[in-house]
Parts: sequence; structure tokens; C-alpha cells
Amino acid sequence: MVKEKLYPFHIGILIYMTQTGVLVLSLPRMLAETFGYNGWLALPILAAVASLNIGLIAIVHRMGKGKSIFSILESALHKAVLFPLYAALSAVWALTGCMTAKNYVYIFQMLSFNTTHPMLFKALLDILIYLLMIKGIYNISKASTSFFWMIQWMLLLLIFFVKDFSWVRMTPFFFKGGTDVLKGGMSVFTAFLGYELSILLFPYSDSNKKVMRAVFAGHLFTTFNYIVLSFICFGFFSFEQLKKLMYPVIDLLSYIQLPFIERVENLLFAFFLFSTVATVVMYLWAAQESMRQMMPGVPQKLLAFIIVTASFIVSWVPDTLVEVGKWLEYLGNASSGIAFALPMLLILILLIKKGAKL
Amino acid sequence: MRLLKAIVTLLLAGLLAAGCGQQRILEKLGFIQATGYDLPSEQEREKGRELLVTINVPKADPQGKMKLETLSASVKSSKEARIEFARQTELSLVSGQLRNTLYGVSLAKIGFMNHIDTLVRDPSISQLVKVSVVNGSAHDLLIKRYPEHPNTGQYVDRLLEKESISMAIPRITVYDFTRDYYDDGIDPIAPILKQNAKNIAVDGIALFHNDQYKTRIEPDKTLIFAIIRQNFKYGEMSINLAEDKGEEGQVIFSSVINHRKIRVTREQTDRFSVVIEIVTRGSVHEYTGNLKLSDDADRKKVESLIAGHIEREAGDMLVLMQKNKVDSIGIGQYVRNSMSYSEWKKLNWEEVYPRISIACKAKVIIQDYGKFK
Repeated sequence: MVKEKLYPFHIGILIYMTQTGVLVLSLPRMLAETFGYNGWLALPILAAVASLNIGLIAIVHRMGKGKSIFSILESALHKAVLFPLYAALSAVWALTGCMTAKNYVYIFQMLSFNTTHPMLFKALLDILIYLLMIKGIYNISKASTSFFWMIQWMLLLLIFFVKDFSWVRMTPFFFKGGTDVLKGGMSVFTAFLGYELSILLFPYSDSNKKVMRAVFAGHLFTTFNYIVLSFICFGFFSFEQLKKLMYPVIDLLSYIQLPFIERVENLLFAFFLFSTVATVVMYLWAAQESMRQMMPGVPQKLLAFIIVTASFIVSWVPDTLVEVGKWLEYLGNASSGIAFALPMLLILILLIKKGAKL
Repeated sequence: MRLLKAIVTLLLAGLLAAGCGQQRILEKLGFIQATGYDLPSEQEREKGRELLVTINVPKADPQGKMKLETLSASVKSSKEARIEFARQTELSLVSGQLRNTLYGVSLAKIGFMNHIDTLVRDPSISQLVKVSVVNGSAHDLLIKRYPEHPNTGQYVDRLLEKESISMAIPRITVYDFTRDYYDDGIDPIAPILKQNAKNIAVDGIALFHNDQYKTRIEPDKTLIFAIIRQNFKYGEMSINLAEDKGEEGQVIFSSVINHRKIRVTREQTDRFSVVIEIVTRGSVHEYTGNLKLSDDADRKKVESLIAGHIEREAGDMLVLMQKNKVDSIGIGQYVRNSMSYSEWKKLNWEEVYPRISIACKAKVIIQDYGKFK
């Protein structure tokens, strides 16, 4: 059987969809809290940091000639060393995925079905995620592409806010009135996470330069969306108000009024399910990829089942929205750490091997 | 295979049954359409009940006739009122269709932000719920039946909506109110409603300092207020030129398109001079004076008379606002934007505002004067 390869276009969209998740709902508030007035301007800076990280991944891709990172690791390190590394990677990625899903469920329940057990919704979501996961990365990327069109039209909704947007509210102050820039900045940075999973896509795509360019394009598109959305929020809400809104984007949506339908935000919020599913599937898939190295004999479907079930059980633990937020913050920091450390480790290995050959 | 089928069937049945979990049957729901908040009577307040809440719930009727249920209760908080109301009705009350919140003037004077807070917090409530002040008691306004308008909530909503289109009153929603409340350079406003013998009427604009009602704009001056507050595209005002020296007659200035600019110059650390520049254009379709609108010089004169009228009225209004320390048109925003962050933080705007000099410069353009020379 000829293995189908991922096209650069699909890779770009896949990265974009993985990056865009539930965090976008609170992103403008986080920017206002952390960076103060005109905090949206911090986005290009953080995006540049993420771009550097993508640069590291691109170096791995070039030096390793598109080889799977696992074969690079296994060619240099002993299994006993790699085992805990794989375990840690799977754990962080799987938990990030399942907490993102739980976060979505909790926000959804704030809007509707408040008293139904959250884990029931989580279970439904997990079934969907499992079904997508076992189809493999090629189909995940195809599904992501169709999900992409289902949510991307929503950017046009921003036209609604032009009337109430006010330049006066933007103020000429930059980064004033913020709080802990380092801690807050790290939380905001997690909104960009998702691009680091591109490191696992090497064996599934052609080994030419286009792959990394597509990853970068996806990341740029995410940045563009974030900037437009946050910019609108800073001019639409007053600064102190924005700092108080838990999910400014939901409030933004609730401002939309159509002549034939009111309270569309409940409907529109459901569309965020698509980007959430895409994000969660990618993280769980990444966990599965890494776990497969530990248990090469186990069939893929069983592996997917184990990961989904295990993460379902763990996600039972935090049972308020605040707790889920805290977990996500820690996991986000861990994921950021992996995003930088993993490519650096790989570059180191490749450099040493290159040196040994000479 | 058979086992798999059984499992799938069972799962599907489970999924479908989950739909029975939280049922919402239309006939059993009471959609709250309008809520009124007032201060309760002395005796009630002595018992610790701080709030008199009134709600308006339209009911579905098989005969198609409009039925309205009005409930009220004296309580400690607005959410407690929901529990109290539940005891008084067979319907399950939901607030997803809430359109209007009315605040009695006595409550507005002591401030009602903590009641707006629950409207912002509750995700089932739209951010487009309108906020207005009742000149009198919101309870009395809602509890009364208006034979010509069987559905009071809808009546109030449509009245406010229609009036705001012609800029007679601003359209103030929960979003607008909270936005201006939290902004440090502007104070919130809200339309005022009044209960008449047979109907409800718009009765000017309430000006707030923080969330406390301080003073109001009279109903016949609301367009002047709109002119100095924002850009807009549709409005109508009636001007009595006899009030000004020299001329007589009445002008109806309609289809007004307004552009406003605010310029701030800083004279000393805490002395500012502010100029509000207004360019407003519109049509004159009614004029009862002696000047000829078709004559260029005469028309220019009418234009300058209208401009003079706007400047004078706006000047009085600004004095009134400064006296009451309400920055309802958001001059603070422009002052804030004219300086650095640390300077703004050092400046006590509330103290400085009443002392600044504000001038209003109006330019009026009569775009057309109808189809009669």
C-alpha cells in the first residue's frame, strides 16, 4: 500500500486548527490583564518567539533529512533512557488534550445544560475524538480542513463590531497598567501552542522545504486571527471592562443581533467545538505516536482506546472550571518546555552524530 | 458482530435517552421580558429587604389572546427574587428572553451597579438587554395595564428601540452601561421613562456619576445632547428662533447628520481647554420665519442662527454637567489620550473636570429646503 502523504496546504491548516482552541475565548482578557493598555501588541512579539521555535524544528527537519524524530532519538540513546522521555511526552500531550476538551465542556455547560453531568458531555466528545484518532493522521488532517471552513467564516462576524468600535477607547498608552508580564506572558504564549506537534509530522510528509513553510504559514495565520480579534476587543470594550470579562469573545458574540434570530451566541459557540476537537485529536494523536514507541506490538486502535480512556479517567479529577484552568496552565507550561527542549535535544544528537562521522 | 451491534444499539439508546435529561417545554416556561428594580417601602427595608423586584411574563394562550403575568417581591438580592417568584407561578421562569431592565429613580440615585453585575455574570442573559431609569417607580410602571398595549414589556422595548433610531434617546444596553461605567474617561447614561395615565413616554436622559443618577437632560433637548456626544446619521430637532434675539419663527431641522470632534489643549498641569467642534447637516422642511430660504444670504443667516442655538444650548448643558460632575460625553477620554499614562494616573479627573473650560463650535449646513421656493 502506498502511504498517502500530507500536502503542505493541509499541514498549514492542521497547525492552525491545532493552535486555535478554547483559549481564544479568553485571550483578549488575558492580554489586557498581563500587558495592560493595547496589550494586543504583545501578540506579534509572542508570535515571533514561537516562530523561533518553529525555526528550531525546521533545523531538525533539514539536518535529519525528514526522518522521524523517534528514529533519530533511538539511533543515539538507549531505550532505557528514552522510555521515561516517551512516557513524559505522552502524559503531557494526552493531558493537555483532555483538559482542553474538559475546559470546552465546562464553558459549554455554563451556557446550556448546566446540571447535566459534565463527564457525560466529555464522554460524547471523547467518542468523537476516538473515532477520528483511529483514522490516522492523513484523515485527521482532511477532517481538520473541513472543520477549518466551518469556523473560519466566523471571522467575518467581526464586521458587526465596526459600528461600536472606538479609536478613543484604544488610548495612546502601550503596555501600561498590566501585571505580571512573565507569568501572564507564558499563559498567553500557550495560546500559540500546537505548532510544536509539527515535529511528529516528518514521516508523514515529503521531506522538502515546503513542509516547514506550511507550518510557518499556519502559525502566521493563527497570529493574524488572534491580532484581529484582540484588536477589535480592545476598541469595543473599555479597558477595565475587558479585564473583568472571563470570556470576552463570548460577550462579543452575544452582541450580535440578527433581524430573524436573537441570542445567536449559543449557536455560534457550538462552532468552537470543531476547533476544540481538532486541537484535542492532535494532542492525543501525538501522545499515541510517542506511546507507540514504548509498546511497538500493540495495535494502534487499542493504543488510541487506552489513551482516550486513561485521559477520560484523569479528567475526572479537576471538577471546577477554575481547577481545569489551573491544570491547563501547568500543562501549557510543560508543553512550552517540550516545544523548545525537544528540538534542541534532537539538534544536539544530530550535531554529535555528524561530528562522529567526520 | 452480533455483540458489536448490540453494543452500538445500547450506546445509541443511551445517547437518545440523554436528551430527556433537561427538558424545556415551551408552554411550561415563563419568559421574563422586563424586570423592574426599586427601593422597597420603609417597613420592608427595616426588615432587611433592600430591593423590590417586579417582572413581566407574557403567557402563551390557546385563544391567541395576550396574557401577561406580573409578579413582584421585596427581597435581599435580585437572584433571590427568582426563587421568590418561582413560588408564585406555575411556570418555570427563564431569563433568556429578557429585553428590558428598569430602575426606579430612588434606586438609581443610590446606584445599581451591583444589580447590573448579575446581568453581566449570568450567561443566560443577553448583553443587549436595555437599561433605563423610570421617573417614578418601575414597579408601578410594570404592574399597570395599558389597554392599547397589552404586552408592556414589548411595548417598552419597541418604544425605546424606535426612539433611539431617531437619536431622541441613546440606545443603552447592559454592554454600553458597563463599558462606560468601567471606562475612566466617561460616565454612563440611560434613557428615562415616565408613566402617563394611558401610556408610557420617554422622559429625557439620565446622567450618572459612576452608577449614581445625578441629573437629567430634558426630553426636548436630547438631540443637542446627542450632537455633542457622538457622530450619528439620523435625527430631528425643532428650534424656536424667537428665543434668540432678532429673529422669529420656528425651524424643523431634520435628517440631521452629525460629526463631532473634541480637541484638548493643556494650559497648565491641571488646566485644560476643550473645544467641541460640530459639523451638522440636514434639511429644513418647515420654517415659519420671515427669511427666504431660497436666498443664499438669508439661508446662511438661518444656518448661523441654528448654529448659534446649538452652541448656546450645548454650552448650558455642559455647564449643567460640570456642575453635577458628570462627564457624560466622554471628555475625559480625550484628555486621557492627550497625555502620558503616568500623568493621567496622577490627574484626579473627577476633581479637574468641573474646572476646565469647554467651548462648543457648531457649523450648520442646510443641505436642502424642500421642493418649494
